[in-house]
Amino acid sequence: MLHRRIFQFLLIYLLALGLLFLFKYSLNLSDYVIPGPLEVWHTATLVFNRYLFDGLNTLSVAIVGHLLAIILATLVAIIGRQASLAGSMIKTAAYNLQAYPIVAVAPVIFILLGDGLASRLLIAALICYFPLLLSFIGILTEPVTDIEHFYVTTGRMRWQLEVKIRAFENTAKLATVIAGSATLAMVGTIVAEFIGADAGIGYSLRIALYQSNIAKVLVALFLIGIFNSLYLTCLEFFGYLVQKKLKISTGETR
Amino acid sequence: MIHHLLRAFLLLAVSGLVLLSLAGCGPDPVSPEAPLVYRLKWLYNMSVVGDLYSLEHGFFAQEGLEVDIRPGGPERDAIKELEIGRAHFGVASADQVIRAVAKGSPVIVLAQLFQVSPLQWIHRAGKNPIQTPDDLKNRVIGITYGGNDEIIMHALLAKHRIGEDEVEFFSVRYDYTPFYQGKVDLWPVYQNAEGLIISEKLAQAGEDAGFFNPNEFGIRFVANSIITTEQMVREHPETVSRFTRALLRGWRQSLDPATADKAVATVQRFDRDTSVALLKKQLDATRTLMMPLSGKDFGWIDSHAWKQTAGIMFEQKLIAAPVSVDEILLSVEKLRRK
Repeated sequence: MLHRRIFQFLLIYLLALGLLFLFKYSLNLSDYVIPGPLEVWHTATLVFNRYLFDGLNTLSVAIVGHLLAIILATLVAIIGRQASLAGSMIKTAAYNLQAYPIVAVAPVIFILLGDGLASRLLIAALICYFPLLLSFIGILTEPVTDIEHFYVTTGRMRWQLEVKIRAFENTAKLATVIAGSATLAMVGTIVAEFIGADAGIGYSLRIALYQSNIAKVLVALFLIGIFNSLYLTCLEFFGYLVQKKLKISTGETR
Repeated sequence: MIHHLLRAFLLLAVSGLVLLSLAGCGPDPVSPEAPLVYRLKWLYNMSVVGDLYSLEHGFFAQEGLEVDIRPGGPERDAIKELEIGRAHFGVASADQVIRAVAKGSPVIVLAQLFQVSPLQWIHRAGKNPIQTPDDLKNRVIGITYGGNDEIIMHALLAKHRIGEDEVEFFSVRYDYTPFYQGKVDLWPVYQNAEGLIISEKLAQAGEDAGFFNPNEFGIRFVANSIITTEQMVREHPETVSRFTRALLRGWRQSLDPATADKAVATVQRFDRDTSVALLKKQLDATRTLMMPLSGKDFGWIDSHAWKQTAGIMFEQKLIAAPVSVDEILLSVEKLRRK
């Protein structure tokens, strides 16, 4: 699974790079606008190790931010699934929060939390929690009638049980949406680093752009793609294991 | 596998054709129907008063030119737009020009706008004022990593033999809170623009602001200049000449104290968020930074400062080889002779 995803990414990256070079040489653009292949290679040899650690730094923050987002989305969805006033208000607040562009909210976050790890985590979580929330609310508000009916009629239904039943019955959907939102967690972390942090690959990207150094940008984009592919594959594999285990425990051994 | 690669190649070819056809959608090389595109370095503010003045008072039209002035921003690079053909003229700082030329970009400098770089460091002047480079020791200095303020500060410290371990650097961004909170002693600003806004805020809090100007301590780093491409100069010298003439006329008039009210009114039409009182202060500060020494025309290119800028960049390994700036500085005088 991993090698296939990495291969696909490499193919896309090389295609894009080829396109860029085609553009450069067709229009006879200087290395300032688009660097030549040799410059990209030379830059890669110079900055690769440093960017590798920056990328790992970003990936680790993205993973924690993603976890935070999952917890946040789960909590909001559990409360928001109810048709009560509180549920409705929580949903409204969550939707409105997403309507604000993160670049406008970020300065406030940096004032409150500084430009360290906490701000990066929060921004990563805020960017990726919304698609999670929409799916979680969708899943948790949809009754699984044939199972829930028994507990309702026997008076044994509790909210915890209701959440468990609905989550269990939609494990595949949950795994897909969690894996899908991982990309947004990476994006969120990079945006946070780009706007105001002083570490990570987003911060290195900002410096490269200040220096108009597109070769560095291309190296950074390559590493972002690799790390993103790695994280997605890990999540998909983890989701596959969970589903497999659940099927075995329920006797569904196909 | 081969099938996949063939598909990928086909995709590349099709995308390339689409991209190339899109690239051709930029403004045509000079034509009577299409306006000339002039890309600024930053958003509309007092630092572009002369550009807006030329447009609003019809100086371009009087030269028979239609000009579309487009604001810049952090993600805009006039040099790249010139090369791709999306702009005919632009504004760029000397470090941008030198980096570009070092990588083979065919850029030509037509006029130098700021004679003294507006990039300075604001600090609290009340207690422990910073008057000489030695006063920088043991201070927290804000710099934009990758920005030209980083280059200037490294050059200044090296020139005055101050070790980088004798100061503390702080990575800055657009939010000035660390400076207001006193966590950072010096913060890089454009003295004539945000420098005055921060000064006002400090004054409201009962504090005096001062500016640390590297130019006073031997670092003459050139800021914004008007640029175009070699192709424009070679193929349309008359258009270049008329454009530059109209633009510099606008700059001279806008910075003339006798027409200050007109200049402020012009900028206010584009920058509605800044008060008239502040715009007037910004105009005064801009005039001080832009007016050349007596006997020199507005737009005079300080070739010594350009050489120093290129030298600093080479010393700091920001360019791979020395750049001969004389070849890229066209200047008003040379343009007249052409």
